Amino acid sequence: MGKIIVMTSGKGGVGKTTSSAAFATGLALRGFKTVVIDFDVGLRNLDLVMGCERRVVFDFINVINGEAKLSQALIKDKRIENLYILPTSQTRDKDALTKEGVEKVLNELTKEFDYVLCDSPAGIERGALMSLYFADHAIIVTNPEVSSVRDSDRILGVLNSRSRRAEQGLEPVTQQLLLTRYDPERVERGEMLKVDDVLEILAIPLLGVIPESQAVLRASNVGMPVILDEASNAGQAYTDSVSRFLGEDVEHRFVTPQKKGLFSRLLRRTA
Amino acid sequence: MSIFNFFRAAARPSAVQAKERLQIVMAHERAGRTGPDYLPMLQQELLSVIAKYIDIDQNKVEVKLDRGGDCSTLELNIELPSRDAVKAPKDPGKPAAKPGDAKPVGGSANGKAGDKDDEDEDDSSEPVKLAAGGNALTNGGIKKRR
Ligand SMILES: Nc1ncnc2c1ncn2[C@@H]1O[C@H](COP(=O)(O)OP(=O)(O)OP(=O)(O)O)[C@@H](O)[C@H]1O
Ligand SMILES: [Mg+2]
Repeated sequence: MGKIIVMTSGKGGVGKTTSSAAFATGLALRGFKTVVIDFDVGLRNLDLVMGCERRVVFDFINVINGEAKLSQALIKDKRIENLYILPTSQTRDKDALTKEGVEKVLNELTKEFDYVLCDSPAGIERGALMSLYFADHAIIVTNPEVSSVRDSDRILGVLNSRSRRAEQGLEPVTQQLLLTRYDPERVERGEMLKVDDVLEILAIPLLGVIPESQAVLRASNVGMPVILDEASNAGQAYTDSVSRFLGEDVEHRFVTPQKKGLFSRLLRRTA
Repeated sequence: MSIFNFFRAAARPSAVQAKERLQIVMAHERAGRTGPDYLPMLQQELLSVIAKYIDIDQNKVEVKLDRGGDCSTLELNIELPSRDAVKAPKDPGKPAAKPGDAKPVGGSANGKAGDKDDEDEDDSSEPVKLAAGGNALTNGGIKKRR
């Protein structure tokens, strides 16, 4: 039976879709059969970030409504073996996500896939609730910024009270923090919350720190998950995070300002 | 160096303030998740007690809540009506306000509980004290220890 992961945050625009695309790709690269589902009904975007927007025929809602078979709606990634995308509807709204419908699709998917990754919409309404309800693991995407941290705490509360695992008194949903858009230089100047500050406040284990990076926009421009940009620090940080998710002990990188090399320091002195 | 830079350097880093503000607001929100906050009810009951003695104009009641780290302050600012609006106390043994007793109460700027300095000692049975002009603002404070 495959595991269900939710990428969630409460607050919008913190990097859930970017992280979902990167994580799903990373898990598939490690050999796990993975599907990533867009739960942001009405605001389809995962297809663009994954670069499969021109291949969408049927979607998640069509499958829930019995208008298409799951196999017809699943899009196989062209670059990576083992990676599939289930896009969402652009025209319906979140009421189309019934608990029974979502459960039926997820049950079918966990039979076939190792990981089912749910990209949550922002907020704590139906779409967000449905994306986290069946989760085994939650990755809490947070920016080092007051409103994002507070909303993450809200979502942790929801996971602990309104998920299936909470309602049925099962083992709680595991929760890990993915701190994104981290700018070590601003942290050093005292302008941004430190990793440790956020960890102390949210009190959940750290999965990874993804630095603020221009590579993210470049990657989404061309429909390539940033994890495939192996030269970028954001890509490397996602790769490390996937390894940690799989239980490996990997040191955190990109949390302190890049040291100026001896060469550039010499250049500076003579300049 | 401009004066703005000077203040900026002197102030604590904004990230430190961000952390402190988060810790405080979230401690309250987490507490609120497990049980209902009694402050709104407390506030209502207090007002009804005061209304037993004074015809308070609901529009002239200011309620402020300041959620702090170790303690929160509930501050009630009630503008008292002119003297004739003071109701006779229910207990006949206790004298009503006499003109000579008029005295300002709770004059401190923020009127938090604990500012006991200007509290009257010998006339504690008196329900309400009025300032010389007939109108006064009472400052009451209730602290909730966490
Ligand atoms: N590490 C990063 N560095 C720089 N920009 C980033 C980073 N992560 C995300 N972004 C940018 O932030 C914006 C929002 O990202 P994304 O769409 O992934 O957020 P989201 O949480 O899915 O948003 P929504 O709540 O609307 O679904 C995008 O423009 C993205 O390029
Ligand atoms: Mg998104």
